[in-house]
Amino acid sequence: MPEDTFDHSLEQLLGYPDSTRAESGEFVATVMKQVRQEQRTRKLILFSFGLVGALFGLAGALILSEKITWLFTEALSGTMTMQAVLIVVAALAFYTWFMNDDLPLEH
Amino acid sequence: MISDMELVARVTGFNDQAAFQELVQRHQAAIRGFLGRLMRGDHGTADDLAQETFLMAYRKMHTLKSSGSLVSWLHTIAYRQFLQFTRKHSRQQVMAEPPDQGSDPRQAVDAEILVPRLMSLVSSEERACLTLAYAAGMSHHEIGEITDMPLGTVKSHIQRGKNKLQKWLIKHDHSISDKATAKLAKEAHRA
Repeated sequence: MPEDTFDHSLEQLLGYPDSTRAESGEFVATVMKQVRQEQRTRKLILFSFGLVGALFGLAGALILSEKITWLFTEALSGTMTMQAVLIVVAALAFYTWFMNDDLPLEH
Repeated sequence: MISDMELVARVTGFNDQAAFQELVQRHQAAIRGFLGRLMRGDHGTADDLAQETFLMAYRKMHTLKSSGSLVSWLHTIAYRQFLQFTRKHSRQQVMAEPPDQGSDPRQAVDAEILVPRLMSLVSSEERACLTLAYAAGMSHHEIGEITDMPLGTVKSHIQRGKNKLQKWLIKHDHSISDKATAKLAKEAHRA
């Protein structure tokens, strides 16, 4: 059998069979179902760990509440508190600007 | 039509599931076909591996470079899924039975039976290289990237695989390939 003819025969023989629209649809639906399930699991894990973190944060705040109150009422003057708030707001604004590197997509 | 890379950007940027669904729709036939050939006609396992391939692609999509080809990347994941599967099941007989040399090959004219039988004649590396070259129409360079083999090895796997198939077809009755291809061409025309 000549090489070219054989190559051509192989191309046709090994070519993937056409799947029906129903088969393809079923496959896509199964994949998307698994994707959604995985997303749900991921959200659940994030929520659980977030909740644990929030609870520990709350416990910490309760433990330190007296010291924090003392810091803002007695240790720091009104001017210093204002300065601290401004610094925190500026730092947050810089962080937001710095981390927001998503470029808009053209549709 | 929206390009693959734009859909990828939507998935990675906005977690757009509709975009991912479109990608699955576009590439499922190629990935299922590829794994079907590698699994020598075991379509159930091939579809399971294809599902795993797309799930893995969804998880790792942010690692796809914008200069890369999505098709090659998906085939790379699929090939790794196949290798992992064969490693896991190496002690069990997961593949179809080897071809029965004594039976009349003319009974296997139907491509559904003939192709898995032909795929049983070659090693898994040869099968992957032959399928990617002849069914997916990829270049030797692309096949090398997908299978992580040097270019020379890819070429020798293709040549060796081809020789094995040709010998078997000639030994049994080479007209078998003509009949099968004619049938396939007829089916393709009808579709």
